[in-house]
This record gives sequence, C-alpha cells and structure tokens, in this order.
Amino acid sequence: MNEMKGKQLNVNELHDPTRRAFIKNIGITASVILLGRFGIHSIVWASSEKKILKMILVDYEKCTGCRTCETVCSSYNNPVTVNGETLPGLGNPVYSKIRVVSFNPDVDVPNVCAMCPDAPCVNVCPVEPDPKTGRRALYRNETTLTIQNDPHRCIGCGSCAKACFEQRRGVIMLDPQTGKPDGICNLCNGDPQCVKWCPVDALSYVEVRPERKFYGLSPEKIAAELAQKWYGIKEVGGLK
Amino acid sequence: MSIQYGYNGRILNIDLTTGKIEKLPVAQDDLIKFVGGRGLGMKILWDHLKKPGVDPFSNENPLIFMTGPFSGFPVPSSSRTCVITKSPITSPIHSSYSSASTVTYSNVGGFFGPELKFAGYDGIVITGKANELCYILIDDDKVEIRDARKFRGMRTDAFDRTILEELRDRRFKTVYIGPAGENLVRYASILHTAARAAGRGGVGCIMGSKNLKAIAVKGTKQPFVANHKRFLTALERARLALKNSPRTKSWMELGTASFILESSNAGTETVRNYREGTFQDVYKISADTARREVWVRNIACYCCPLACKKSGRTKGKYGGIVHDGPEYETGTMLGSNLLISDMAGMLKAIYNVDDLGLDQISTGNVIGFLMEAYEKGMIDSKFLDGIDLKWGSVDATLAMIDKIAYRDGVGDIASKGVKALSQKIGHGSEKFAIHVKGLELAAHNIQANPPRALCYATANRGGCHLNGDNIEMQNMRAMIDSTGICLFAVFDPELEDPVLSLLSSVTGLEYDKATFAKTGERVFNLEKMFNYREGFRRDDDWLPDRFFEDAFTIGPKKGAVLDREKFYEMITQYYKGRGWNTETSKPGESKLKELGLTEIVT
Repeated sequence: MNEMKGKQLNVNELHDPTRRAFIKNIGITASVILLGRFGIHSIVWASSEKKILKMILVDYEKCTGCRTCETVCSSYNNPVTVNGETLPGLGNPVYSKIRVVSFNPDVDVPNVCAMCPDAPCVNVCPVEPDPKTGRRALYRNETTLTIQNDPHRCIGCGSCAKACFEQRRGVIMLDPQTGKPDGICNLCNGDPQCVKWCPVDALSYVEVRPERKFYGLSPEKIAAELAQKWYGIKEVGGLK
Repeated sequence: MSIQYGYNGRILNIDLTTGKIEKLPVAQDDLIKFVGGRGLGMKILWDHLKKPGVDPFSNENPLIFMTGPFSGFPVPSSSRTCVITKSPITSPIHSSYSSASTVTYSNVGGFFGPELKFAGYDGIVITGKANELCYILIDDDKVEIRDARKFRGMRTDAFDRTILEELRDRRFKTVYIGPAGENLVRYASILHTAARAAGRGGVGCIMGSKNLKAIAVKGTKQPFVANHKRFLTALERARLALKNSPRTKSWMELGTASFILESSNAGTETVRNYREGTFQDVYKISADTARREVWVRNIACYCCPLACKKSGRTKGKYGGIVHDGPEYETGTMLGSNLLISDMAGMLKAIYNVDDLGLDQISTGNVIGFLMEAYEKGMIDSKFLDGIDLKWGSVDATLAMIDKIAYRDGVGDIASKGVKALSQKIGHGSEKFAIHVKGLELAAHNIQANPPRALCYATANRGGCHLNGDNIEMQNMRAMIDSTGICLFAVFDPELEDPVLSLLSSVTGLEYDKATFAKTGERVFNLEKMFNYREGFRRDDDWLPDRFFEDAFTIGPKKGAVLDREKFYEMITQYYKGRGWNTETSKPGESKLKELGLTEIVT
C-alpha cells in the first residue's frame, strides 16, 4: 500500500457548514480592508506593462462533474519516480488543486484559483518582504504569474486561506500538521492538464477578466445561482 | 505468482453484533482467481456461508461492498461498486432448505468505490446485526460504528443532504437505504448521490436487516500499479478512444433513454406487464421529449466521459421534482409497462421510488402485475386497500409505491415480490407473474428476442437483463463486473484493447481476451455452484408462461411468441456449451477442474 507522504491536506475544513468555525480554525485574525470587490490592484495590474494573467475558466453548463480534472491535476503535480524515471502519479483527487464541489440537486462546481489580479492571499501574508526579491512567503511568481508559497519562510498562519475563503473562492487548503497552504493552481507550466483532458471541454485556459460572470465567487454562491437557473430552486443541499 | 499491485490487499470486516472491526488481508490466490467486485465478492460469500440454506436475514449472511482493481485509478468509467450478498427475494421451485436463495450482486456507479479504495480497502464485509440503527464511518484508517437512530425513516434525498451536514465535509462519499430498506422490502435498493442505486436483488433489504442505514467513506491513499509507464500509455489510449467515439456522443445526448423509442420500434419494449413489445404513446416518454422538456444537465460518474445520467425539473400537476431520468429501465418499468405516458407523472414515480429506496425495476414489475390482476378481476379494490389501480394511472401508481415501501396493507405482500404475490392471488396469475427464480424481470421484453430470454433464464441472480445473451457475453460481463469498470463504457469496441492493457498493467498479470473471459467464466461457475448447492436446478432456469403463450398483438413484431420446445433446446445447448449436466444443470467435474474450482467447491 502506498501511503502518500507529506501531503496531508486539510480538506476537511473547506466548504464547512460554519464559516465562523472555519475562520476560527485559521487562528490569526488579520484585518482585511476591501477596496471595492477586486480592489485597486486590478486597476494597477490592467494598466501595467506586465504579461497577461491567465486562468482556468469553467463552463458550468458543460461540466458533468466527472472529476477527470482532479485526477489529471493530481497526477501531474504529484509525480512519482519509477525505476529512476519521473512519471506522472496515479491521481488521487485529494491532492488536486482543482476541486469539483458537488451539490444536491445535481450541480457540480469545479473550484480553482481565480488568479486574482489583486491577490488578497498575497496581500495578507504577514511575512516581511524579502529585501532582495520583494517577496513575502506567499508571492506571485514573475515567470508563471501564479501564486506560490515559499515553505521555508511560511509561518503557517493560514491568513492566505482565510482571505481566499472570505473574499474569493476558498481554494487554499492548509496542511493540518504545518498549516502551510496548498491548492493554488500553478497552470502546469503553461499547459494546464485539466483543460487538456476535460472530456467535455468544459475548461479553457484564458485571460483573467474579473468582470466575467461568476469570477472569483465561492462554489456555494455559484451553485445557488445555477440551481435557481436550472431547477428553479434556491437551496443547494449538503451543508448549510 | 503474487499480486502486489492494483489492490490495497486488505478488506474491512465489521461485525455489527459485537462491534468488532478488523482489517484482514486478502488471500493472493483469491485476488488472482476472482479479481474483485462481483467475483471476489462471490468468493468471500462462499467462504462465509459454508453450508446451503442459510437464512439471508441471519447474522451469518455477509453484506459485501467490493471495489475492483480499476477502482481508485483514473481509468475511464471505473466507478462501479459491487454489492454482494445472499438474496432475500429469490427461491427455487424445490429445495430441502426453507431459506434457499441465490447469490445476488448489484453494482452502482458514482464515487463510492473509488473513495473506498482511497481509504485503503478493497472491500467491506458486514456481518451481524446492530442493536439500533447505525451507520459506518470510514476516514482512512479510522473506522467507527455510529448511532443513526435520528435518521430512522428518512428518505434518501433528504438523507443525502443531511448526512453531509452531520459529517461536515463534502469529501465523504455515502451509500444508504431509505424507508424501504429499513422496512425490509425484499427488493429495497442501496442509494448513492440520491439517484444512483445498487437496485437489484434486494441488497438494500439485507442492509436494513443489519440495522445499517449508511456507510460514509473518504481517504487519501492509493495503491501502486505493476507497470506504471504502460498504465499511463494505456490510460491515454482509453481516454482518447472514448473521447473520439460516436457512441460517447450518443450516451451524452440521450443516455440509456434513447433505447425507449428504439426498443418500442424493435418490439422489445416492456409494455402492459410484458403483454406487448411496442407502446403507441412511446414518444411521450422518449429521450427526445425528455431532452426538450425536462433535462438540463448531463451528469457523469467518476472519470466517465459518457455522462449518461440526466438531471432536470418537471412542471405541472406532478412537477417540482428535481431528479434524473427517465433512463431506459426507469422510463420503461414505470412508464410503458404501466401504460403511463405522462412524463411528469412518470418522473414523480421514479423520484419517489428512489427517494423511498426501492428498486425501480422490481417495483414497476410488481405494480404492472397488480394492474393486470386487477383488470382481470382476480383482485378487487378491497385487496388493493381501495386503490383504483388502473393501467396508466399515475395517482394509483404513486399510492402503491408508498404502500410497498411502508409495507402498509396490500404493500406487505407486494413488498415480497411478484412471485409471492401471485402465489397469494392464485387464479393462474403465475402465468403473468414475470420473474425468474423469484427476481422480477427488467425492461427488455422477449417474445421477439430469444437470446435475451436465455439471458434472463440463466442469470445467477434471477431475472437479470445484464447477464448476457450467450455464454461468451456472460463470461465477459462477469469479469467486467469484477474489475470496477462500467459495462456501458466497455460496450465500445474501441475500448477492448486499452482495457486489457490497463488491467495487465495495474495487476501485473497478463490478460488477453481469452484469459479475461476465462476469469469471468470462473466467477460465473462459482455463482452457479452456490445456487446449485441451494437447490436450484434446470427447472429454475425457465420463464413464466406468458412468453410462450401470449403472442404480441400489436407492433412490428405482432404475433411473436417464444416456442417452448425450441427454448428448451436452447437451454440444453447452453448447458452443453457450459460443460454443465443437461438434466440437473450442475457444472461438470471437468469444467470445475479446468476453472480451478474443484478444491473450493468440494
């Protein structure tokens, strides 16, 4: 039996019935000031000369909830060494960065990092910026433009997960032992596997545009709206 | 030879009487010979029930949930969990044992089997009976038996949502019974995601008899595969084969419901309690109509590109239901079989049957039988507790469904199945009590389809439409049911090579089509030996008189009827092909030896 080591993610707390309980669990209270929904940073980003921010966009009408995206994400991002050769892993979805949140009635919402231009997760990171690189523990990689964590500098406070959960989608999961974040999409070095293998082409690799419908919303909010639209009912079940 | 790959190598054993929880290793030889799912479940059942005639409701009878070698890997469409136990509904014509019954196996798609594998188990074997209604929680190595008294009587749709509120984590995958299972309806189902069901053969009845409301599981593990690189190559081939297949497009657009119209046009639809093979109002309940008026989403099981499940919402008098369907079986058994052509009314019946935790097929069959007996004056409305059970009546059907689930009044005898009902009613009603070995037949009518007639007559769980129309198909399907992959995906011929390569790379045992089928043949023969030991003989591999006497009066196959002598000869040839005794149906010594079963069964 293969006990996957060192990757015990705290998936339990995500989309927990009680948001407050979740926030308590995070530990540190960080004060977050919202400047409009996506803050001043998105304006700054849009007007800058930087590279184009890209993200995984979900077409909820097409998604069938099959979770192939989870398995290919998990495979790609958790490679294994077999006879000296590094190969993609076998894809237990629990280690995926994209997560299909399923509801009753049938609504499936793949939840993945929105690549927020204003990055609330990075902004709340309490680790002092490195004088040379300007990076906090959580930072935007200048090449891939994805959000990364430096585990050596991260103090495991969970502020990033809290910010993401409160303000955006709640994709950041915390390792229950170290409290350090995971679950942030890395776009698979420019070739997102979920987009490549989605059997119904429900996922696409596109430019970040916060004005898009459902942008940065939590799975619960998206599911509620879809359930209303598709089935004419307000409540999506499972957790309150 | 040893298997180290593709499996966790351990089975969770839970005795609900004592509360003892054990994680026991699986014998290597059993994994090689019986693979998983339906096959390994049969072997475990055989090992547990060392003598024939064990009461299916006794503590001894194990309720077995099995994964297969594909479960927990991202092999397309490998979502099936197989539930195996001794049947509470079947019975032989003659037997020395009062509690004689067949094996039963019923599989369900969704997400449970893969998650069970992630938790570190190849299966769960449940014996005994809890004092109070309970549920089992499995969170990787943590296994607990928990109080479920507060859920007593809860219907499945509500339970599906409520249990997650209790567990506070959407990652848990759950299977559960409804009121029908708690009330020991002989054809109660086990539900998953409020719509998927291990429906056939009464597995939910046995779950209820153990006072087990539900099982919830999640996990973080995964076994290795034997040849990782070959696995990845075959995986890519399988994914591309299904993605590019026109069959996949059809599954996606219309699901199994596409067969409602096709089957009616072919004269193989179940109509008016199997009296006819064609339904004149079929277009009202067909897939095209559902697509236009009801369906809004295609829904898939774990890693399945077919997405044959459809969800939607109905309007009107019976509206407001959000559920899946019609599928071929549900839309036929609760539609054309009852002459119901009101789409919303039919979907309400389908929803209620799932919500109460009944098997769609047996329920539709039982109600069709009652409608016919009522029409013929063999029973009156007093027998039916005042229900005016006329053909096509949605209200009467809904009333009967409730009666059955709660075993209220007429529902008590109806809950025991169509065989018991016809014995109670008499008047020659056995002729149109449509079952084999006590299990109700499904939505494939057979006056014009002799191979499917053989499929029903020779199925080891009783009247089963998925058994296979000939020996080769039966062997292949017994094996498919043992791997964890879905039969619907394997219908695609493009998947054959990738599946064999995947199975070889996962297990490290080299499979070609012949060895694949041979393993299935072993499974099928052990099931048969189980039934034989209980007292099932050639006479039990037979069909109700209707199929030999009541020729279709309408449709393209008007006049079609089975011929007794020809069918008898067909069965004889079948036994010869199987290497079984043509008089008793017992598998021959040389066949048992060839399959490596001699030591197991003697």
